[in-house]
Amino acid sequence: MTVMDPLVAMHRAEAAVSVELETPGMTLNIGPQHPSTHGVLRLVAQVDGERVTQVQPVIGYMHRGYEKLAEVRTYAQITTLVNRIDWVSGFANEIPYIRAVEKLAGIEPTPRAQFIRLILTELARISSHLVFMSSYPLELGAPTPLMHALRERERVLDLIESVTGGRFHPNFNRVGGVKPAAGGGSSTKKQTQDLPQGFLQGTRAAMGEVGAVCDDLEELVTGNELIQARTIGVGVIPADVALSYGMSGGNLRASGVDFDLRKHEDILPYADLDFDIPLGRNGDCYDRYVVRLQEIRQAARIVQQAIDGLPSGPLQAKVPRILKVPAGEIYVRAENPKGEMGYYVISQGGKVPYRVKIRSASFSNLSILPWVLEGALVPDLVAIMGSLDFVLGDVDR
Amino acid sequence: MTQVDRNSAKLPLGGLLKGMKVTIKAMVTRVHTVQYPVVKETPVPRARGVIALDPEACTVCMLCARECPDWCIYIEGHKQEIPPDKEGGRVRTRSTLDRFDIDYALCMYCGICVEVCPFDALFWSPDYEYSEFSISDLLHDKERLTDWLETVPTPPALEGA
Repeated sequence: MTVMDPLVAMHRAEAAVSVELETPGMTLNIGPQHPSTHGVLRLVAQVDGERVTQVQPVIGYMHRGYEKLAEVRTYAQITTLVNRIDWVSGFANEIPYIRAVEKLAGIEPTPRAQFIRLILTELARISSHLVFMSSYPLELGAPTPLMHALRERERVLDLIESVTGGRFHPNFNRVGGVKPAAGGGSSTKKQTQDLPQGFLQGTRAAMGEVGAVCDDLEELVTGNELIQARTIGVGVIPADVALSYGMSGGNLRASGVDFDLRKHEDILPYADLDFDIPLGRNGDCYDRYVVRLQEIRQAARIVQQAIDGLPSGPLQAKVPRILKVPAGEIYVRAENPKGEMGYYVISQGGKVPYRVKIRSASFSNLSILPWVLEGALVPDLVAIMGSLDFVLGDVDR
Repeated sequence: MTQVDRNSAKLPLGGLLKGMKVTIKAMVTRVHTVQYPVVKETPVPRARGVIALDPEACTVCMLCARECPDWCIYIEGHKQEIPPDKEGGRVRTRSTLDRFDIDYALCMYCGICVEVCPFDALFWSPDYEYSEFSISDLLHDKERLTDWLETVPTPPALEGA
């Protein structure tokens, strides 16, 4: 038997002790002001060493009471409120609301208005996904893609602003069509708010640029070994679990469920257009990222086709000057960039709705956090959370 | 239906090198930002920056104040008697605007007031440089709103026109 080096013996003894040591559970409070939470979300995590054993999301810090505010405002005024629910895609929020009111009031919007709505919705989808493309690599520690994605997002926002007048809050939809005229007076009445000159050409050029930035992001992010190591196999959500939690949008499609309301609902004329639904296979963070990147390309394709098929004609259908919606109730949903967004509107006849219930995609998508974070590593917590792409304004309303 | 490709980068550090290519490409392209206080971007003509008031056109009908979603327009007026033009004529009354304030601390920039005005008294201006140190200074009175009139642009030409 050889004599053991005293130093080695000491290390061995220490190692033996540390194996028997237990790591006590710790409560880790993240938020509400954490930069990667996309707003004010608080996560109370029970941590055992590097493992998360339990997570409790605490929401409500962004609650603005839009459902209650909507009960004392006319149908036209509520469009201003619904803009602000999911602020990175303001235009897409208006569509299900305004279609719900139109269906309830029995007003059919004009075909040109419907196509302008479709183009602007897809532009909003591109800008929302570009925010994800910029923030998600940043959360994984890569600040460069942010600059590339936000540069193109600015181009898209400029296009939305040139038509609607607002970058984030377009407030462009009216019952029966899109904003008809600059004012109600005699001289501005004739001055319509149709697409400004150069918009179609500028949009075509921007779609090319958006495709180019997608190529850039493919090279910067998709093929990067570090990003792949951080995201592949992390935060796997199987299709049945995703469905049971009521997830929708890119998160659900990343799990392989072919569900896109653009194909299933007829509130905008998507049936005339040809586009694919990108699907993931494994439902991990990487799939959720790639699905959104593909959706940007598909949205650009939709916009190009919609510009080709843009019909001419009036921007607004005949609507009574004081809109009174007959009594009834309706639920209309649409594919928001974040997922299924729906409005349940109850009217008792009159200028003001009795109740507007908002079903927002981010709320349901966020509800899976306790399930998917259980057993995850603490460094993966932000990676999983960021991949779900929620906006706290959309969660809390 | 498209499927996700997982085997794009095969070389060790290949993905990093591809990323560096994009960075180098961006280094030689044009700068996309401007140095704000020195260089200013021109907003689009439809940009909703600030609301201008034409007090001569206003008839104190209160439509804008009523339709505003957060009721940030304050209007006061009175009836003014106009003496008859010739002897024995009828005395007319005319509404005169005393106070027209818009509280930009509350305004949501939705443009409903501009849209409902039946007499062309309200206009959008893309001007945006009116931040203040005190929140109470964001309440623009009649004179200040009238000053914005000269910044109102001509509307843009329309597509296909």
